[in-house]
Amino acid sequence: MAEKRSNEVDGAFVEEGSVAGGSFVPVLRVPAVPGLFSEEGGATVLGNKCLACGTPYFPKAAECHNPRCGESRMADCAFGGKGVIWSYSVADFPPPPPHKFDKPFKSYVIGVIDMDNGLRMVGQMVDPLEHVRVGAQVELVVDTLYHEEGKAYTSWKFKLV
Amino acid sequence: MREVSVLGVGVHRFGKTGDEVVGTKSVTELCRHAVQMALKDAGVSWGQIEAVAAASSRFSGGKGWGLNGNDVVEDIGSTGIPVYNLSAGCAAGGNAFNVGYSLVAGGIHDMVLVVGGEVMPKGMIQTSGVEEATDPEFLRQRCVGMPGPSFWATLARRRMFDHGTTEEQYARVTVKARKCSVGNPHARFQKEISVADVLASPYVSNPLRLFEICPVSNGAAAVVICSAAKARQFTGKPVTVATSTVATIDFTDALPRGLAGPVPTGPSFHTEAKAAVMRAFERAAIGPRDISFTELQDNTCYYELAFPEEWGLCEPGEAQALLDSGQTTPVGRMPINPSGGFVSFGEATTAMGVWQIAELTWQLRGQAGARQVPDAKVGLAQTNGLGGNATAAILKR
Repeated sequence: MAEKRSNEVDGAFVEEGSVAGGSFVPVLRVPAVPGLFSEEGGATVLGNKCLACGTPYFPKAAECHNPRCGESRMADCAFGGKGVIWSYSVADFPPPPPHKFDKPFKSYVIGVIDMDNGLRMVGQMVDPLEHVRVGAQVELVVDTLYHEEGKAYTSWKFKLV
Repeated sequence: MREVSVLGVGVHRFGKTGDEVVGTKSVTELCRHAVQMALKDAGVSWGQIEAVAAASSRFSGGKGWGLNGNDVVEDIGSTGIPVYNLSAGCAAGGNAFNVGYSLVAGGIHDMVLVVGGEVMPKGMIQTSGVEEATDPEFLRQRCVGMPGPSFWATLARRRMFDHGTTEEQYARVTVKARKCSVGNPHARFQKEISVADVLASPYVSNPLRLFEICPVSNGAAAVVICSAAKARQFTGKPVTVATSTVATIDFTDALPRGLAGPVPTGPSFHTEAKAAVMRAFERAAIGPRDISFTELQDNTCYYELAFPEEWGLCEPGEAQALLDSGQTTPVGRMPINPSGGFVSFGEATTAMGVWQIAELTWQLRGQAGARQVPDAKVGLAQTNGLGGNATAAILKR
């Protein structure tokens, strides 16, 4: 997979589109689900954290779910950075709806990542299976999930460091 | 609490829509067969059943509301008895058994029917179907695309890292399971397969292959339970329910079920399954090494190795050596899924917890034929379901 460059143009994120007649055709990058992650100032997912017991949440939790936490003091928190692969698997067949993907389907690696920020997260890996190992270091990125109506829909993913 | 006995059991053989076994039978027809078989086995008439505890299905019957017990009562005869429809995902059959057991143990009813049946849609089980950003399951499927088999595959991959389990050992679990199913008249698959066959089947989610993951099936199971005092009027050798338990997931559970959770400080395992099984050991005052055989939820062959270790049936990392030396077969020292398990039956989701009780009963009566565990005295059953549900039951003779 060619590495995608994301640039902010007039407030909209774009990815490198088809180059027709030598001119750059931008493809609008939009989140597959709005409000869950950000590309500004480095890729992060938008969650929160209980300041009382330190439990991190993604997506945001309205209240702390820790039954051993006496209070619930929630503060918004953007989680990004690096982590290590706890485990991984492969989507060898197209998952059923509501998953969306570009056709023809291409299998992808799913990583379970223990992040330095305290979250164990799931996400697609940008890298091919041959390079993925338990214990390898990765970083959070935002990358294209599928295309629809001329737009590139993005999600958080992980990339080997 | 009164002692509870299993008086009669019945199963409709599992199959796939359109095959020679289940054809186009409705869930009501499958349940009717299982219920009538259980009533006949118990030697009781429909009029003697005082209540029904049924597993609620999301997929078939139940008037779209999971009223599957009402379907059964309407079909066999409306006697006006109370009906309890229990929903717990794939653990619903186990939950229904627990409620039936509790009604009898608590002295509310003397004779209760527990039933579960399914006609499953084809392919991978889909999520709620609700396209809402507030639904974590929707977010997981839209933003990542991680269906059930991929969840199991991450656990299987981690085990390979932790304990050096090989893909061939996973394949051998399936080979063992399918060998057990030969001669089990209720199994969907009743033919042996080889390690080469399993390893030649395509990956569904690497490292797990098609023959290492249970497909969905149609099928039904029913059991008649009653107080021990009542049972003595019918048989000299009733099978006793030592206990039945239900548990849900603990906050510390670190398995990748949602989008994210805290990185755990300890090991990662199914907390709901372990809690249900530990509670069962405690309540029955029966230890893991007292168990003659286990029927556990093997949605994938991984669980045949992981669960016995998590529950103390053997040491951590030991299960694959026990598999390799034949100790998990019906004649070994730790028989796991002598029925052939989910891998041989396919999953008729809500029927499974009830079907396990039928399998345990046949084993404890010595009626299990080629899959019989010699001198089986105590059997353990366990199911898991969406939402962090789990159930366990221990039966003894």
